[in-house]
Amino acid sequence: MGYLNNQVVTVDAILTTKGRELLARGDGSFNITQFALSDDEIDYTLYNPNNPSGSAYYGEAIQNMPLLEAFPSEQQMLKYKLVTLPRDTAVMPTVGIDNTLIKLAQTGTTTITPQTFNYLSETEPSGYSFTVSDVRQFSSVVGNGIDTPQANDLNSESLKTNGTDVSKTVIGTSCTLRATGVSTLFGNVGSATSTLYSLLTIVGLDSGARLQVPINITRTTAS
Amino acid sequence: MAGAFQILDPRDLIISTENVSNTVWENDSPTLTNYYTSSVQVASSTGQFYYNIYADSNVTGSIQFAIAYCDADGSGSLEYNPNVDGLSPTRTNFGQYRSLILGDEENSFVFGNQSASYFYALPVERSGYKQEILPGTMTLCLSGSGNTEHLYLTDDSKLGGAAVFTEAGRIYNLVSGSAGNVYTGVDSNGWTVNSGSYGWFMPDIGTILLNGPALQGTFADGGINLGTGRNDNTADNNPLKLFNRLNLGGAASTNAGWTLNSQENLSSDFVFVRARADEFNYSTNPSFISGSNGAVVYDNFINDPQVYITSVGLYNNNQELVAVAKLSRPLLKDFTKELLVRVKLDF
Repeated sequence: MGYLNNQVVTVDAILTTKGRELLARGDGSFNITQFALSDDEIDYTLYNPNNPSGSAYYGEAIQNMPLLEAFPSEQQMLKYKLVTLPRDTAVMPTVGIDNTLIKLAQTGTTTITPQTFNYLSETEPSGYSFTVSDVRQFSSVVGNGIDTPQANDLNSESLKTNGTDVSKTVIGTSCTLRATGVSTLFGNVGSATSTLYSLLTIVGLDSGARLQVPINITRTTAS
Repeated sequence: MAGAFQILDPRDLIISTENVSNTVWENDSPTLTNYYTSSVQVASSTGQFYYNIYADSNVTGSIQFAIAYCDADGSGSLEYNPNVDGLSPTRTNFGQYRSLILGDEENSFVFGNQSASYFYALPVERSGYKQEILPGTMTLCLSGSGNTEHLYLTDDSKLGGAAVFTEAGRIYNLVSGSAGNVYTGVDSNGWTVNSGSYGWFMPDIGTILLNGPALQGTFADGGINLGTGRNDNTADNNPLKLFNRLNLGGAASTNAGWTLNSQENLSSDFVFVRARADEFNYSTNPSFISGSNGAVVYDNFINDPQVYITSVGLYNNNQELVAVAKLSRPLLKDFTKELLVRVKLDF
């Protein structure tokens, strides 16, 4: 990791871990069809609308900041997306679910149904993307309620772990998670842990609103 | 229109291939003037077949190229089995290159107008030449034993004749000269007087062959009197002899060492990302809102939001993030500004 030279405007582009995985598959799933923009690293409390030098200087503490190089982990990039909303929007859409922590027992199942606040409807018409950070910890991740080719494609993919902690994304108005039954992920006797930790990222496909929720999976089988 | 994802217009995705030439040797140096071997490698079983050549005395860097002596009669090295005449590492080398370059075992190596039954192969490390070595850029300096007479070799690709194609792709003759310019002081073709050309320059397999008889001749005949040993069932250490002449050539006062360039075709995806004036003007960044109700952090952001773009995410049809581009500094975006970013992905 390092800083980018901000004396000139350049673009530092890399493939993500997910991109490399899809490229290696060679089945056309890598094809780039859409983009999003984000303001990761920006702290808007640095914006100073009271700057005595005038409005041209309100953002000077932000515009001069050096930026870090891109991270290959798709989980660490494009966290805070820029969204297109009508002018005069006073409150930003936010996504919420009932719990601030998802607890699952080994092989346990739960269905997550997010709601969007400050938006056209509580359930977004295009649905939500649900991304689990470590696919190894689940025996199934299924999106429900959206019948589009993209959503069906993602649901039809079997979980391929390849033994590494790659992410898995599905699309739906809700998402059903089933925790893994594999005990070896918890480690060996002695150094074994009783809980696996991962993260669920929910993004509203219409609003761009985003929520991250920790997931804890508790071991139920004897080590 | 609302949302965070924008579908790319097919015209915003361009695939392009560009031709890139570069240096071959370690540290991006165009010329290699110091050659080193590894005593461990030379003493190992592979040392019977070839010597690896390094650019620094600690031989900790990457291998630059190798020297392999090849002999149709198996001379110059110990036989695998004294009871089986002629089968030795140098014979194995000869067969390997004959199979690779000529294909048919009935064919012989004809350098210029003379066939040769022994030669030196110098395969360049793949990481150095990438896709191919670039014809017309090479100057290789070999020295006579006294380091007073220097022989400069290049390829004849600039003469304009079509390359000869073999099982190993294009072949050009190695001739006297530098950087593709032929020296005709000894022979009108840049060859030796009696032994044909100095060998072959094969860009597609990143290898040059040095014609043994050509180097064996006197300086007046165009050679360097190399002294290649062709004794039966004897370790003549011929790669060492060429290695020594390379090192002397690396200390020459003009055009010292080995100058060589690589070439590769680089395929790139260009993605043109456009954010129009009325798009992407609000942020889901937690510091953009205040409190828990989602209200924007400053009142003037309601009518005139100011956001700062730092990253571009490229997604596939399933909205999986496959590539990211990071700007070197934040770019201000509001309802009066448009953005066009060109993202280049190399493969």
